[in-house]
Amino acid sequence: MTLLPRLALRQLRSQLRTTEWRALLLATWIAITLTTLLTLLGDRLERGLMRESANLLGADLVLSSSRPLDPARLEQLNVSGIEQTQVVQFPSMISSPDNAEHPPMLVSVRAADAPYPLRGEIETLPAHDSPLPASGEAWVEARVLQQLGLKIGDALQLGYSTFRISAELISSPDRGSGFRSFSPHVLINRAELKATGVLAPGSRANFRLLMAGSPEQISALEAQLRPNLADHERLLALRTDQPLTGDALGNALAYLKLAALTALLLSALTILLSLRRFGQKQYTRSALLLNLGLSPAQLLRIYLYQLLIAWAVLALLGLATAAVLDTLLQGWLSNLLPQRLPDPAALSWLSGAALGLVMLIMLGLPPILSLARVPVAHLLRGDTPPQDLRARALLVACLALLALTLFMVLKAPLAALILLVLLVIGGLAFGFIAQALLQKAAEPLARKLMLGRLLRLRLRQQRKWHRLQSAVIVLLLTLLAVVWVSRADLLTEWRAKFPTDTPNYFVINIQPWQRSDLDTFLHDNSIDSTLYPMIRGRLTLLNGKPIRPQLTPDQLGDNTLRRELNLSWMATKPEHNELLAGQWWSSTPEQPQISVEQDMMEDLGLKLGDQLGFDIGGQSVEARITSIRGVQWTSFRPNFYVIFSPGALENYPSTWITSFRLDGPRKSLATEMLQEFPSLTLVDIDQLLGQLATWLKRLGDSSAMILGLTLVCGLILMAVTLLQALEQRRFEAALIQTLGASAEQTRRLDLLEFLLLGLVCGVLASLSAELTLAGLHLELLHVDPKLHPGLWLILPMLSSLFFVVTGFLIRRPLQLDQCYRLLKAQS
Amino acid sequence: MDQSTLSPAMIEARAISKHFNTEAGRVDLFTDLDVTIARGESLAVIGRSGAGKSTLLSLLAGLDTPSSGRVSIDGQAIETLDDRQRAELRARKISFIFQSFHLLPELTALDNVRLPLEIRGAADPERDARHWLSEVGLADRTDHYPAQLSGGEQQRVAIARAFATRPGLLFADEPTGNLDEDTGAHIIDQLFRLNAQEGTTLILITHDAELAARCQRRLRLHNGTLTEA
Repeated sequence: MTLLPRLALRQLRSQLRTTEWRALLLATWIAITLTTLLTLLGDRLERGLMRESANLLGADLVLSSSRPLDPARLEQLNVSGIEQTQVVQFPSMISSPDNAEHPPMLVSVRAADAPYPLRGEIETLPAHDSPLPASGEAWVEARVLQQLGLKIGDALQLGYSTFRISAELISSPDRGSGFRSFSPHVLINRAELKATGVLAPGSRANFRLLMAGSPEQISALEAQLRPNLADHERLLALRTDQPLTGDALGNALAYLKLAALTALLLSALTILLSLRRFGQKQYTRSALLLNLGLSPAQLLRIYLYQLLIAWAVLALLGLATAAVLDTLLQGWLSNLLPQRLPDPAALSWLSGAALGLVMLIMLGLPPILSLARVPVAHLLRGDTPPQDLRARALLVACLALLALTLFMVLKAPLAALILLVLLVIGGLAFGFIAQALLQKAAEPLARKLMLGRLLRLRLRQQRKWHRLQSAVIVLLLTLLAVVWVSRADLLTEWRAKFPTDTPNYFVINIQPWQRSDLDTFLHDNSIDSTLYPMIRGRLTLLNGKPIRPQLTPDQLGDNTLRRELNLSWMATKPEHNELLAGQWWSSTPEQPQISVEQDMMEDLGLKLGDQLGFDIGGQSVEARITSIRGVQWTSFRPNFYVIFSPGALENYPSTWITSFRLDGPRKSLATEMLQEFPSLTLVDIDQLLGQLATWLKRLGDSSAMILGLTLVCGLILMAVTLLQALEQRRFEAALIQTLGASAEQTRRLDLLEFLLLGLVCGVLASLSAELTLAGLHLELLHVDPKLHPGLWLILPMLSSLFFVVTGFLIRRPLQLDQCYRLLKAQS
Repeated sequence: MDQSTLSPAMIEARAISKHFNTEAGRVDLFTDLDVTIARGESLAVIGRSGAGKSTLLSLLAGLDTPSSGRVSIDGQAIETLDDRQRAELRARKISFIFQSFHLLPELTALDNVRLPLEIRGAADPERDARHWLSEVGLADRTDHYPAQLSGGEQQRVAIARAFATRPGLLFADEPTGNLDEDTGAHIIDQLFRLNAQEGTTLILITHDAELAARCQRRLRLHNGTLTEA
């Protein structure tokens, strides 16, 4: 090995014994591991759910509609050379006819025509040659088998039909978008759909036309379709849309990445401080090497080699750790993800190592460059090197570049920037508050204890470091506490705020001819519920003129204009709605009247007496607003923006909807209802919320894992900050000891300082966690905040422990003779 | 023709001054000093702590530039050289011995002596390093690390390192300052023996009158003036 790398290697080996290098290595290791892990996960998700969307879409172009596809539209799209197929997807309850003890389960049913899919493949176990289940058969996902206690060959009931399960769905494209893509899937042949009776006019379902062809044909078709899409239609194309699944996953990933940003920032700070201290300790050595004849450029290379060798080892180590954690995380998420994740791109394995390199170089270059400029005369006169303005400017530039790199890696620049600003502001605030509290707390101690007076001096002397330490610890503990509490707490508390009679079942797609039988069933079983008619219509007119030109751009973006509204009619006001203004109709009025929901009135600037016109299946219906209602949207009861007076809508095709509550053993009534009315769609809210809760919990667990690593980063940073002032502390301890204090007293002084610091930080963290949680309760859940007494106990204890342990790991006791030598050396 | 062969003096300093600007105002360490040191001469600079001995040494060694005046080493005017040229001059002609030895802790005695030879691209650095270690009586301690050597032994390694590059000019800053009297005397014997043997110009900074007495000339730095002692 040539001279410079050999010197670098030796230098590195001897410096591995120093705390600053150990901290630097640990921090870089964590940074590399975390970045690799998140990039791998992100890449898998993106490839699995977003980028490889040809397979995901199951086609090149998809026309998706909330109504059955219009035959005219189908005719228009029947272009030669374009392959087409149709799919219907809808939520439904299925049950096991042979396993009555299992309650029915909410699934997403896909009924498809062959060939299916047009792009990608369906993977089943056992493997099938045919593209779709044969007549009378269904393919289901593992979760269906688990929850209903079924196996291949068993029967399942969907509507009026019984299907034999002939395979387990391992992965399949075209899962649809939004929440339905996360529900367990059941795949049947579309030819079987009619017999199940679950879909009728007006039923909630998604109708899709899958298309595939040459890129030119697809582009032409897309260009032709896109300008004249109806309100209920969406066009999903491979190139133009980030299709389908993934908002939820994308948000989850962004959240995990932001959690990781904190860890990365702490690592960067640790590396910065470690290298600063390393640099300071290298002045003499650098001067000596320059004196022995090395050129500044050679010296620079030695230090760069040293960083590179360290980086190479850490990159391998980080990669290995990330691979282990990645396997763990995949196992963890595998039950929840809609399909098996593909392997990540080879390049994403390198992201963490690359970031680690950038971090080490960017943060290492400024101190190393100033080392190359150390005057050799330093060896003779021992003078400290002058403040180098250029080195400072370089450091600022490097920090800016590093921040930029971090943002790019995280791919969420705005959120990251906001988080960064919040962290800085929060950190500054916490730092100063903690320091002020420390001084206050030390006053009474100073009056009572001999050590108290020394403590006051110590607090003043260390105030700069205390500010940094408390800022980091308070922020970390707050984050940790909020995530920990909210992962279990939020959903429970949200659900607990509902009255105990809040419905937990919705029944939709009730056909008019089923209404009286269902009413009888409900009444006979003493299920308290009301059936409401439901009809879809689009708001088109205001006071006889088209509504759009009369609205501001803001109002035009309103939700009620962008989609079809669920309309209803009834003679009496729903009990759970509040009449805010106007009067409810007493009988069937001559002219149609409507009652409009309060927010819609405000958003669109409507007033009592206005005449609204709706397009219902191509026909126009107008009515005058005679009352305004307050609606609690989270009441889990059927709610409507617009309710008509009786007589206006009865002649239009409608379905009916209801909700009710069933508890304990009475839940079996849901099964009975489905047996009696197989075509109804029963939505089990408890199951839906259960799925949501599992997601939130896994997300909480995953972020707790990242926050755990963040906490380790915080611990290392703490050690490094304590180290920065170690010489000063030792000098002070030596002085106190030579002036008559015992080693035990200086130990107690340190203990007192760390305990007090920990207590103050813990209390501040409890306060800020409570405030954050209260904010979440009020803003997100609209429930009254509550105190978490456990936090006030655990956080101060945890934080004190944290300081005492790190402090005492760093601290070494001084013997009296050491004290004298230390004082002599310092002078 | 090499300019240095024409110059009889190894170091020539003319009217050199050094001042520092502090918060309290300007501090003049010394003004208008003239020093001429002949080739092969040994010279001791003595004076009280804080008199500016180390500063004078760094000026004479070309490590620092005077506030005014000029210094030439082996006929080359320091102020005309840039940083790189000065580093080259140091590498070719100058060695240092320090009070606190300044050995690299992760290198053995042999590697410490070998290092400057390797930096200069010597043909057989190991052979040279072994030779110089045996010159200072440490042939059997070559594989020891500095932490395994006594203070005196460490300073001998530093002396071997200083002579290994065969410098024309050797600066020693309180070389016995960290050693007890006996060890110090032993070290000094070796230093002067090698100095005589190699014909090196030696400039020594010391408090020690006995040590200073062994040099051919003695200069006292006091209140900013330099006098022959």
